[in-house]
Amino acid sequence: MTIRYAACIFIFGPVPLLAEIDFNQQIRPILSDKCFKCHGPAAKNQKSKLRLDSFENAVKSHGGVVALVPGKLEDSELHWRIRSDESDEVMPPLKAKLPLSPKEKDLLDQWILEGGKYQKHWSFEPLPASVPVPRSDSSDPRNEIDHFIAHELKNSGLHPSDEANRETLLRRVTFDLTGLPPTLDELDDFLADKEANAYEKAVDRLLDSDAYAERMTAEWLDVARYADTYGYQVDRNRYVWPWRDWVIKAFRENLSYDQFVTEQIAGDLLPHATRDQILATCFNRLHSQKVEGGSVPEEFRIEYVADRVHTVGTAFLGLTFECSRCHDHKYDPITQKDYYSLSAFFNNVDESGLYSYFTGSVPTPTLELGDLPSDEGIRQAQEQLRKVENSDEANDAFAKWDGNQSGEVLELSGPVAHLSFDEFKGGKLSNSVDPKKPASSSANNKLVEGKMHQAMKLTGDDPVNLPKGVGDFNRHQPFSLALWVNPSQLLDRGVVARRSKAWTDAASRGYELLLEEGKPSFALVHFWPGNAVRIRSKKVVPLDKWTHLAVTYDGSSMAKGMELFENGVLLESEVIRDHLTREITGGGDPFLALGQRMRDRGFKNGSVDELYVYDRKLTGSEVRSLAQFDSEATKEDLFEIFLQSAYEPYLKQAIQLRKEREAFGEARQRIPEIMVMREMPGNRETHILNRGLYSDRKEVVTAETPGFLPSVDKSNPSNRLGLARWLTSPNHPLLARVTINRYWQMIFGRGLVSTSEDFGSQGKPPTHPELLDWLARDFIDSGWDLRHLFRQMVLSSTYRQGSELTRTDRDLDPENLLLSRGPAYRLPAEMVRDSALAVSGLLHRKKGGPGVKPYDLKVSFKVINPDRAPNVYCRSVYTFWKRTAPAPVMMTFDSSKRDVCMVRRERTDSPSQTLVLLNGPQFVEAARVTAHKLVDKFGKQKDDKLVAHAFRLLTSRKPEKQELKILYQLLAEQKVVFSDLSKAKEFFTHRPQLTGEFKTKTDDPTHLAAVTMLISALMNFDASISKR
Amino acid sequence: MNEFQNILTNKPNLGATQDFLNRRIFLRNGAAALSATALAGLLPSLSSEAKTTGNGFPNFPAKAKRVIYLFQSGAPSQMDLFDPKPLMEKQRGKDLPDSIRKGQRLTTMTSGQKSFPIAPSIFKFARQGNSGHWMSDVLPHLSKEADELCFIKSMHTEAINHDPAITFCQTGHQLAGRPSIGSWLSYGLGTENKDLPAYVVLTSFGTGRPDDQPLYDRLWGAGFLSTQHQGVKFRNSGDPVLYLSDPKGIDRKMKRGMLDEIALLNRKNHQLVGDPEIDARISQYELAFRMQSSVPELTDVSKEPKHILESYGPDVLKPGTYAANCLLARRMAERDVRCIQLFHMGWDHHGGLPNAVKGQCRDTDQPTAALIADLRQRGLLEDTLIVWGGEFGRTVYSQGKLTATNYGRDHHPRCFTVFLAGAGIKKGFSLGETDDYCYNITQDPVHVHDLNATIMHLLGVDHKKLTYKFQGRDYRLTDVHGHVVKPILS
Repeated sequence: MTIRYAACIFIFGPVPLLAEIDFNQQIRPILSDKCFKCHGPAAKNQKSKLRLDSFENAVKSHGGVVALVPGKLEDSELHWRIRSDESDEVMPPLKAKLPLSPKEKDLLDQWILEGGKYQKHWSFEPLPASVPVPRSDSSDPRNEIDHFIAHELKNSGLHPSDEANRETLLRRVTFDLTGLPPTLDELDDFLADKEANAYEKAVDRLLDSDAYAERMTAEWLDVARYADTYGYQVDRNRYVWPWRDWVIKAFRENLSYDQFVTEQIAGDLLPHATRDQILATCFNRLHSQKVEGGSVPEEFRIEYVADRVHTVGTAFLGLTFECSRCHDHKYDPITQKDYYSLSAFFNNVDESGLYSYFTGSVPTPTLELGDLPSDEGIRQAQEQLRKVENSDEANDAFAKWDGNQSGEVLELSGPVAHLSFDEFKGGKLSNSVDPKKPASSSANNKLVEGKMHQAMKLTGDDPVNLPKGVGDFNRHQPFSLALWVNPSQLLDRGVVARRSKAWTDAASRGYELLLEEGKPSFALVHFWPGNAVRIRSKKVVPLDKWTHLAVTYDGSSMAKGMELFENGVLLESEVIRDHLTREITGGGDPFLALGQRMRDRGFKNGSVDELYVYDRKLTGSEVRSLAQFDSEATKEDLFEIFLQSAYEPYLKQAIQLRKEREAFGEARQRIPEIMVMREMPGNRETHILNRGLYSDRKEVVTAETPGFLPSVDKSNPSNRLGLARWLTSPNHPLLARVTINRYWQMIFGRGLVSTSEDFGSQGKPPTHPELLDWLARDFIDSGWDLRHLFRQMVLSSTYRQGSELTRTDRDLDPENLLLSRGPAYRLPAEMVRDSALAVSGLLHRKKGGPGVKPYDLKVSFKVINPDRAPNVYCRSVYTFWKRTAPAPVMMTFDSSKRDVCMVRRERTDSPSQTLVLLNGPQFVEAARVTAHKLVDKFGKQKDDKLVAHAFRLLTSRKPEKQELKILYQLLAEQKVVFSDLSKAKEFFTHRPQLTGEFKTKTDDPTHLAAVTMLISALMNFDASISKR
Repeated sequence: MNEFQNILTNKPNLGATQDFLNRRIFLRNGAAALSATALAGLLPSLSSEAKTTGNGFPNFPAKAKRVIYLFQSGAPSQMDLFDPKPLMEKQRGKDLPDSIRKGQRLTTMTSGQKSFPIAPSIFKFARQGNSGHWMSDVLPHLSKEADELCFIKSMHTEAINHDPAITFCQTGHQLAGRPSIGSWLSYGLGTENKDLPAYVVLTSFGTGRPDDQPLYDRLWGAGFLSTQHQGVKFRNSGDPVLYLSDPKGIDRKMKRGMLDEIALLNRKNHQLVGDPEIDARISQYELAFRMQSSVPELTDVSKEPKHILESYGPDVLKPGTYAANCLLARRMAERDVRCIQLFHMGWDHHGGLPNAVKGQCRDTDQPTAALIADLRQRGLLEDTLIVWGGEFGRTVYSQGKLTATNYGRDHHPRCFTVFLAGAGIKKGFSLGETDDYCYNITQDPVHVHDLNATIMHLLGVDHKKLTYKFQGRDYRLTDVHGHVVKPILS
């Protein structure tokens, strides 16, 4: 049976009650609109146990009462309830204010009589393997599309329009495929080409152009919610444009769409993923990100994951997943579990809910966009160091060394700071290493009886700060800290020591010794959690007694170079993170501090004593000595102390190693980083969140695709790659349909499913369901080839029709649902601006690179200084996009704000649009420059030629006589007005902010000004700014 | 003779278009300056939209024709302005009892704080007017208008940070993307003044905290409604509306001439392609042209009498101040702008609150009082609703150090105070109470959804009926919540 779910009934009234009822077409809309709110798939939160969303549910008995008894009206409660006169019985209830029409009641009854059969919602049915093309009497079929269209037009009272004239056609297809108007040369070539395939050749030329790739990218930026800033309030700039350039490249190379989707969802998980494939996954990180102080990181991390789900839901599945975040979907069979199972694919990323306020660190995970420098120098230096260490010379020298005899360990190489906490005067704590550099503390911290003499009891809100520079170690510098601690309460988290400005506000940049649930935890951090090394003890530090803690670090940026000691004994610790590739200095507070950190949990009511700071890695013997175990140093440790403090060749080589590490680190630091996806070590649990609240965790779910859609091929991994494989499998019900629909919308102005964002039961059914399926199948069969898809569309007779609207059209099909005429609508924002730049010749064809700032950013909500020429003339796809202050010109012409994934723009007309076109600097300048060119070309005496040329330049067609008449009139009037030279001079005074950077030079300002006004008028002419 | 001259000389018959052209040229060359109205008469398609009607609203008689919403962004401290807690003086410096806090979620700015010392207000309170409203002594001017005001001291919300909380007040949802209250009103009620937008937004920076959290366009955005309903934010410098001014050297007459020719071209094209959208666009050109006069006329306060200017306080002539914006709000009310929303920033006082509050009140006290009085004396207060309030309240305990003269307060969603005045509002009334710690509501809680429902109710809109279908769902300002707060209605 062919499933018929056409929507024509919405145009021409209901299908008469003759044929067998079609559930999806006739019954589902009634149930969905009038019944599902209380009897739908949302299993919870409904008043009644009755569900009408499936046959199995509808025929269930509820205390002997059955809603649907197939074939039997008398026994079906549904029949009685919808026909009841009793106000407390009738369904839908009166207070719902959703009465059924008599026709709807008849349909429901007929459906019951015919057996009450259900169908899956049309878009959840697998895509058929092949779709028969209807026979039609299309007068001029060019391809299958035309048969589908002609088939639906038959008996509609409408007839296909004639083919548009060649100028109109070339203009239309050039805008559609490249976003730019045809040049006059292109137009002339096309008109001169009398070969039968002239149009095909033009289409192929357009498809194989950079402009095509840019045009496609502009559309994809809405879908991907691309912005050059993080969004929310602070809205800092971020570095993501290389991803945009990846998209351009993908379209330019005609990357197959399944691969395009796969690489963006899961490029990092592809076998032998290339840098480009990993870069593609930046797609998942383009959502807004937060930095506002005081925000709960987990709340926003969950928000990011949710945004990914909504984006995948809208962009690839055409479904409104957001509804299911808090409850089962009211209309579609998406359960809350489906939602969180899908979110699990995107949850396993080592990211923070906040980006760093105090540093410019790129939020993790990241990709380095460049080749790593060679680390050969480090390896050689390490090798060399080992050689020195194992050399006979070293052993001989050690044998002769004084320290070998004395065994006095601590005096050998002094600390860089030592606080005894024995004296606290005027807010200062003396530093025995350098009395001129005492530490400071607020008086809220108090001296108490300590391990040795006095100690300091900390409030947790007030730090003990060493002076600037003390303890400000970079990651290549070996260092050690040792101190006594005496915690008085078990803290979830307590900062004991840190060189770090802030917790989440600096992404913990620096190094730190914490107690996490009472366990010592030592970390060096560039951006927590994705770029850091951390080891944590498995043991809790006891309360209310003194424990000696020490940490040592060897400058290697690796977890294995870190050690934790308790009471002189090396602690067994686990590696929490082991990925540090960037600097740990910076962000503020360039000194070691104890007990507190900005917006972190301090070492509340804990005491500290005898802090030692070393700029080298201590040996176990030294730590034991500090911890007052007076055992002799081991031979090995003595040897190491000897090497580090007294053996010149070793010291020299150690410095060399550090230099190599620094050189490598600095070179690496210069490679830009970009946010991408990477699976985190381990597996983060994903929970169903009650009512979507980040803190209200319910059952754990695993990564799974929605239950109501065909299941995943078991051979696929259960990660993002598996998800992408599932989406792009050739029978997937949604991806191909949703995609060709979006591109159909791009070419024809509205989708076959007009709600391109919603293919669910609340979306509009397709106007041409078989065509949708045929195109989707054809697209997949072509190898997901976008250019093939566009060729199919723009080569069809349907596309080539004229777009003139007749009275019959307007009466019968005002929205052109049946496509009896060609597409026509006001150009999208980018094209309005780009075409003005193109006709004036100002358009700067720079490809790729950082976002550029056109004039209007100067008047955006947060003033941004525009770039200079020629960057102000770049195509709009490159416009710098600040989320809280999007380009005003673009916004005025209905571009997406790019807050969230958008697959469809509004099309409005507003007074602001006219003000932009008439007075906006970009447009005033473009008109002036165009006028300049024309006056140069035609001189003063050939205004008739000038007007005709200008008209054609802006509209791609020749003017009609009446139009010429109006324009001559305009020119004549403006000449009169500007014969007042003061006005003309005023008009041409150079004001880059108001009228653009181009400087006017003319010996006849009156004429040039009048021509400028002529061009400006033409730029506001419907034929210039509309696709016809 | 070239074609140009030929056509001009021979004047071929251009039918109706030519008639129009000739009449226009006649008019322009005649003594009478061509006015927009005269032109509208000539172009039938232009005159049909004198008033844009809404989508079936009001759906019952409205008390208010318009609303002026004075949004105090950053969250003013309720217990330092309107909700005195004298018992707190004895609790100074003591920790907030757990029995009051009840595990309330805190922002991470204070959740790490080890103590929550009670900070009694430094300001003196007195009862004002016949109504006996308690008002802080930093509000001397508003105190004189006490009997006009209706307080709700039991407001509460769900968000604890600014961005989500303001978004929530504006759109009924914490995350961006839904239409703002003014957009809903514009969509539902349409506009009364064909020369101005239905929803206008004015912003000002506060002196109490000049570096306060910024605002963003989407707060007055139309979400999924058509962009014509979004708030038009008047700019504080340069053109009040984007690219309102013509380029230098172009005068109105020239512009008029050019627009007429554009209209002729477009009408000609309309004959050719039959697209009704062209008509819509022609009318937008006309509105833009009218706004080029109406907006400068609106923002030109040079003819305001001296005593009126003085009543708004010393900042009234500084563009972009709250005082200047209050005066503009009155001028917009006179011109029937449907929703006038002011945002005054600078109320986010985590530290140094006493001084900061004084600064904010210096900015806002006198202009707010003057606006009320000015509307009253013009009879406009009868059909204008005024709303004053922020996005949440502040904590009774100090954020950071509490001293004899200084303290800060963190965000507090559980209770805060707003006031209303004007159309349909009980004068001198107060609703709701909070506990002695100004921490929890003890009587008559009013949710942000309830306030929004009430604002819509006063404008003649049933908040449950004004819906818009988007992505398969019927959306409304109040989501699935909201009750009209009947006790405050007159």
